[in-house]
Amino acid sequence: MPYRTISILLCGLLMFSAQAAERQQPKLGYQMTALAEPLPAPDFTLEDMDANKFSLQDYRGKVVLLNFWATWCPPCRREMPSMERLHQKFKDKDFAVLALNQMEDGDQVFTFTGDLGVDLSFPIVYDKDSRVSRAYGVMGLPTTYLIDKKGNVRFRAIGGREFDHPEVEKLILQLIQE
Amino acid sequence: MPTNIKVQLLKILCLCLSMCLLGTQVQAAEVTIHKNDASGLLTWTVKDNGFSIELIQLNPDFVRAVYGKHEFPADERERIAGYCVFGSIIQNTSQQQLSYRVADWRYVDKNGKSYPVKTKAQWLEEWRKVGITFAWTLLPESGDFGIGDWQQGFTTIQIDRNEKFDLIYTWTLDGEKHQGTIENMSCAPATL
Repeated sequence: MPYRTISILLCGLLMFSAQAAERQQPKLGYQMTALAEPLPAPDFTLEDMDANKFSLQDYRGKVVLLNFWATWCPPCRREMPSMERLHQKFKDKDFAVLALNQMEDGDQVFTFTGDLGVDLSFPIVYDKDSRVSRAYGVMGLPTTYLIDKKGNVRFRAIGGREFDHPEVEKLILQLIQE
Repeated sequence: MPTNIKVQLLKILCLCLSMCLLGTQVQAAEVTIHKNDASGLLTWTVKDNGFSIELIQLNPDFVRAVYGKHEFPADERERIAGYCVFGSIIQNTSQQQLSYRVADWRYVDKNGKSYPVKTKAQWLEEWRKVGITFAWTLLPESGDFGIGDWQQGFTTIQIDRNEKFDLIYTWTLDGEKHQGTIENMSCAPATL
């Protein structure tokens, strides 16, 4: 069978399987788990697609939604629009969204954001060797942390969420007002 | 006594022993099996006592393609595609803390012999030796889930592709250990 035919069949299979998997994904919730004790968020410095450096300590004084993700991860894709809406709603307050892509490059993320149908305006930085995710003890994607203005991890979510749900916004406002 | 009856008795004995020794709550929850009309692939879903598990058959070509996309060497792609691979989604559906450890999960073959499910940590250790650092496709070997937490990833079973098996999985809800079984699971066919 010609290589081109095999490629088309394989692409079709991948698309079909991805669609099937996505159809069966759980509904996105909104709950975030409070840590029993606030933990200091490990600091890091990572670059975005344009080699701009982002350090967590530069966000001291702001509440940070720190999201570990990858383009091939269906729930990561599903929760991204809600992160953008959250970012738009709170960007003029002491709040920031920071997305740490795992082990991919600018081309992969560029294609992903182009296909998403939503312009992502919060920073996306590259954790190319997953060093930062290991420092946070991330076991799977997506995993998201809410970090308070003093740089402590306060809440955690494993799996996709609707981050602009009123309950999440309430948590963020509480942390902003502390 | 016929072999199949012996096997069933052996399974019941194992279940009783594990209940007695571990103080585990064993439920017989309803298993829903969905067949995809287009592909014929099966999905097993169980929702039981705060824990939801869904296992989706993945055929070897799909597995090869996934690991090819992540630039795994050909022999490693073939090795994992030779396993019986499932896409798995597990979820805390309770309002309490839930945890799981894949190392506690077992599968039982047609002869009643029980085997541990290979964990992500075991795969990563093998991949590390051949220089692979990518670590995100497999179901994490353990998890501590708060309310609403869920996770997904591949689960791998080393068994003949044409052989059926039972999967025994456990989880802990608010400090109490639970166990469930999905009987007569099967691998995706080698080709669609």
